[in-house]
Amino acid sequence: MKSKRFEALDARPVNQDGYVTEWPEVGLIAMSGPNDPKPSIRIEGGKVVEMDGKQRADFDMIDTFVADYGIKLDNAEAVCRMDSLDLARRLCDINVPRSEVVQLTTAMTPAKICEVVGKMTVLEMMMAVNKMRARKSPANQAHVTNVKDHPVQIAADAAEAALRGFAELETTVGVARIAPYNAIALMVGAQVGRPGILTQCAVEEATELNLGMRGFTAYAETVSVYGTEPVFMDGDDTPWSKAFLASCYASRGLKMRFTSGTGSEVQMGYAEGKSMLYLEARCLYITKAAGSQGIQNGSVSCVGVPAAVPGGIRAILAENLIAMALDLECASSNDQTFTHSDLRRVARSLMQFVPGTDFICSGYSATPNYDNMFAGSNWDADDYDDWLIIQRDLKVDGGLVPVLEDDVVRVRNKAAKVIQALFRELGLTDVSDAEVEAATYARGSQDMPNRNMVEDLKAAEDLLKRGLTGVDIVKALAKTGFEDVAGSVFGMLKQRVAGDYLHTSAILTKDFEVVSAVNQPNDYRGPQTGYQISDEKWAQLKNIRQAMSPENV
Amino acid sequence: MESEELIRQIMAEVMANLGSDQVSFAKKPAAAGAVDASSYPLGERMPEKIKAATGKVLADFSLDKVKSGELTADDFRIAPETLEMQAQVAESVGRDTLARNMRRAAELIKVPDAELLQVYNALRPYRSTKGELYGIAEGLETKYGCKINAAFIREAADVYEKRGRLKVD
Repeated sequence: MKSKRFEALDARPVNQDGYVTEWPEVGLIAMSGPNDPKPSIRIEGGKVVEMDGKQRADFDMIDTFVADYGIKLDNAEAVCRMDSLDLARRLCDINVPRSEVVQLTTAMTPAKICEVVGKMTVLEMMMAVNKMRARKSPANQAHVTNVKDHPVQIAADAAEAALRGFAELETTVGVARIAPYNAIALMVGAQVGRPGILTQCAVEEATELNLGMRGFTAYAETVSVYGTEPVFMDGDDTPWSKAFLASCYASRGLKMRFTSGTGSEVQMGYAEGKSMLYLEARCLYITKAAGSQGIQNGSVSCVGVPAAVPGGIRAILAENLIAMALDLECASSNDQTFTHSDLRRVARSLMQFVPGTDFICSGYSATPNYDNMFAGSNWDADDYDDWLIIQRDLKVDGGLVPVLEDDVVRVRNKAAKVIQALFRELGLTDVSDAEVEAATYARGSQDMPNRNMVEDLKAAEDLLKRGLTGVDIVKALAKTGFEDVAGSVFGMLKQRVAGDYLHTSAILTKDFEVVSAVNQPNDYRGPQTGYQISDEKWAQLKNIRQAMSPENV
Repeated sequence: MESEELIRQIMAEVMANLGSDQVSFAKKPAAAGAVDASSYPLGERMPEKIKAATGKVLADFSLDKVKSGELTADDFRIAPETLEMQAQVAESVGRDTLARNMRRAAELIKVPDAELLQVYNALRPYRSTKGELYGIAEGLETKYGCKINAAFIREAADVYEKRGRLKVD
């Protein structure tokens, strides 16, 4: 006989997900692994001679890079000797300010910081995140992609996402050579929705840098680092090449963050028997050592791995917390799809949503999932109202604001028209009125006409050959009469001359004012301190279109 | 990929391991600061003191000047002096490694885009011999005065040699 109860349970979405038991020898353990090194540090003549149980003679490339650049040594030996439980308590204690905690955490070794967060429950970690997030106010980031690489749809979706409150937008490509088109469509569309939105195009490292140098993007994020040397080699980089790349971006006045996450090493087959969190901690120290202002982490595209083991979602929160404790900007993932269960995907996101992070999702899909070219996202455009209502239920600012259909239609239409005019002015491929109309009302690419991809690719390659830059885009926009959009793209280009947004956790307001951990550091010290939702903001968050009021009943 | 299939694949792939060798290199000094967080954001607080790499003053930037062609793409490049100021701001809030990155970056402003990409690619694993990396370091130092980066690249070459990550002829 088969139990009807179990039959029903087996049919639940949660049982379509994969789970494994812990297997520490191959790295299938979330955190506090039995083979993780014990914390230690010994400094002689200003140089680390032993770290986490390893002598300098035995250091690999990562150990060397971290030991020589990634740890504040003045206090390192003393902090290593401190009781980890006491340190864990300070991390979540409202009476110990962030600035004091950072002095301790940035002096820790990777094994020490893992031991410290290993003492904490998820609730305590969330308290710590609330305090340790570098920027005072939380924000959010969206993915804007589609399976057709349709530039008009990218522009329209970008405009809508900007209007909905995202501070950063990220695109990528289906076909690699279309990257300049997608980057331009994203940047211009975003500025239509709300001036000051930062945009990026995630492609191969050298191409991504090239797009940034030309002024088609404002920042980069997919600068991946890994926690073991063999995986780093498989990723075709070294800590030195990545640090150099970080400097290349800064030399062109471009914001940049690294990317890492638990599970990548085990997924690529070289976890060296260490826990996922310990290896991720090494990534975060590499990030710090390279001088990156921040990181995108939280397992990211490897989320299926930690999600399959016990305590995996806790480890993801722990890795976000370590990033913040190292004083890095943290774009906290909540991106790639990892579960069939709506309950699980919400529970996973509450860890970052409730305390707030620099970017809660990195990113939230601004399209239906079928258009998400980052292998789907935990949240997508079809969930917009769920997100808004959860914000309203909990009185939490998750980075989005309610919008009206008329406003969305208006900005989508304008973005599509701007792209049509811009492409014509720049001598790129034609955008028809039918495409503008379709993009205005589309849910996704299934509602969009097909484009002549061969022609688009030719034009995209040609614009690179012609040496087109952001300045050409500003001029062309002005010529087409979209003076306001020209002014916004100009405002973005100006940022790279000043370089203020190169600092930790920087975003821009609609007036191009920089808000970062330098001028708006997180000063949370318990109830009614730190980031508080203003009355004005709460009025905005409360005001959802679905709510009945006495006046309209 | 289905999660279960993924995990099976992981289990099949996780058996390899590599050993370790010794590596070492020196640290770089940091310069003292004259600007701090109170001047930040520099572009809003002191635009008359911020110059682009071409020498034009940020306070004088306008959309009209872009339209007239008075401002060109070259004018939208950050100057080494500005990055040095930003490095000082970073140091003033305890972010020494970010400051170090900004100082490496300040040196690289002069390096043309294509050359910068070449250097980056040469630093990737198995791309260069030790001699080639030393040559690149030499070139950056003599042509553009990139002292910090030259030392950084030589250091990388030494580490790559010890770890067997150089190009094999």
